[in-house]
Amino acid sequence: MLVSKRMTRDPVAVSPGQSLAEALRLTREHRIRHLPVVEGGELVGIVSDRDIRLAMPSPLAAGDAESTALVSETPVSAIMAREVITIGPWDAVEDAARLLHRHRIGALPVVDAHGRLLGILSETDVLGAFVELLGPAGASSRLEVSMPDRAGELARAMHVVGDELKVNVCSLLVPPGKHGDRRVAILHVNTIDPREVIQALESAGFEVGWPSLETDLRRGGGA
Amino acid sequence: MSVPSALVWDPAVTGYRFRPDHPFNPKRLDLSISLIEALGLLDGTTCRMEAPRMATDEELLAVHSREYVDAVKRFSAGGSTDGAARYGLGTDDTPIFPGMHDITALVTGATLRAAELVMSGEVKRSFSIAGGLHHAHHDRGSGFCVYSDLAVAIAWIRREHQARVLYLDYDAHHGDGVQGIFYADPEVLTLSLHESGRYLYPGTGFVDELGEGEGYGYSLNLPLEPFTEDGSWLDIHRKLLPEVIEAYRPDVIVVQNGCDGHSLDPLTHLRASTRLYEETIRIVCEVADSVCGGRVVATGGGGYAIWQVVPRAWTLIWGGLSGQQVPNRVPREWLDRWQGEAPVLLPECVRDPGEDLAPVPRREEIEATNRRTLESLRRQALPLIRGYGLGW
Repeated sequence: MLVSKRMTRDPVAVSPGQSLAEALRLTREHRIRHLPVVEGGELVGIVSDRDIRLAMPSPLAAGDAESTALVSETPVSAIMAREVITIGPWDAVEDAARLLHRHRIGALPVVDAHGRLLGILSETDVLGAFVELLGPAGASSRLEVSMPDRAGELARAMHVVGDELKVNVCSLLVPPGKHGDRRVAILHVNTIDPREVIQALESAGFEVGWPSLETDLRRGGGA
Repeated sequence: MSVPSALVWDPAVTGYRFRPDHPFNPKRLDLSISLIEALGLLDGTTCRMEAPRMATDEELLAVHSREYVDAVKRFSAGGSTDGAARYGLGTDDTPIFPGMHDITALVTGATLRAAELVMSGEVKRSFSIAGGLHHAHHDRGSGFCVYSDLAVAIAWIRREHQARVLYLDYDAHHGDGVQGIFYADPEVLTLSLHESGRYLYPGTGFVDELGEGEGYGYSLNLPLEPFTEDGSWLDIHRKLLPEVIEAYRPDVIVVQNGCDGHSLDPLTHLRASTRLYEETIRIVCEVADSVCGGRVVATGGGGYAIWQVVPRAWTLIWGGLSGQQVPNRVPREWLDRWQGEAPVLLPECVRDPGEDLAPVPRREEIEATNRRTLESLRRQALPLIRGYGLGW
């Protein structure tokens, strides 16, 4: 999954000389939280709606002419962050997610090799990509299959479902194992009646998670 | 007080049969009809049987693509099944069988007939017991369903009577096909109560599926937690349905009565008893009486505990529709007729006894989650319905 497929192209941006009042208006009008600052096509900074609001006079204080003037005269360059964390269009969305998470920021400007602004990738865009990744791929039943963390086990499980029972696996997610020597694969199978699949997997020695009164999936070893 | 009502039935509809060991087994229809008859719930006049007709191509094409209908006809006639997967057919769930076009057109015609009888005023309520194929989509089959008898009947009601339709779906699986076909249509409001798609097929039916375009706010979903019991389910239903009705003001209700949410059903994890089905249809008929002249077009649907649950659940549905008190004792003649064939002991009472299920360990959590889901749906969806808050 590439950043270029998920980013917003030609995002709303400001120049360093535009006023805070104008920048605030843009965030409101377009319902966005981040404005890249661009000079001659090149990214030179970023401001968030939060940065702008922090620079504004308190709405509780009586709005005097002087502070109003200040907001419409102060340029964005006075408050923008100049050290911008960016990402490239050919980078993976997974990397973008890691950057957003590690730096606790809300958006990444996407720039080309020359620092020119191509787009912006927000945390909402990243979340959207993951929702799609985790969601079912068409009508399906979801099973969790616990297996030993060693070569060939996943292939064996897929063989049981796909080759022996001819049931299509519409999506498969295998997070890295956290429980020592076992890991859990989450699969969506293209059938309304997964009883046979469950039975076959169990006879092949796999543990299958599926709502059950005896074992609580949310508290047990399930994913 | 019995109500003018029609049970649309002909033994020919049991030809909707994929293969002998398939879970969607038409034997359940024979079992249900014979129980309804044995209990004397058909009097030949007020509460009577009516024969289905065939759906025409034109009627099918009102909701299905020509390409799909042509493909079904081709497979049905024994033509090459190459590319069947594209149409969701030839799978373990929905295999191809000879004559599948004609028989599904008959099942669809049964539901059309049920709609005609109600819309013409000949009866107040009708029951197309073989219908309820709610997973069929515009251009493909899915989950045991080839054509959408429900959507075809709703489209017919819209075209011939310009009536506003409320579609209710109580099957344990999400009614994704019907929802999808009317997703952008504000004149058909779909409401599906089902086991959450977190695990269960088809994996959809979450609260945030609200419709699109003009139809935004006219697709409602209430996913229930696995192991939800009658109490929580009915509680939610009693709160939600009057509010939806109050805002939407339908002219007719079309209701899918899948009974696979019963605790004995092998395909799902809900824990309903027969009480749920008796109460649900009573509530539906009550609100229909108050807002849409009592007009209810009902169908069957899922239900895979074919010996122990389906005949009793659908007998109670028919009793509720036709306004007849259903005796509680299953007639001896019915038990004698079927017990030899049944792989399980047939129940002797129509209604499940009160407390024979082991208590659900997480009941409180399940009920709290269901209440949160209801609140989330009410908050997001109800204000989107045009008549909400008007008080009419």
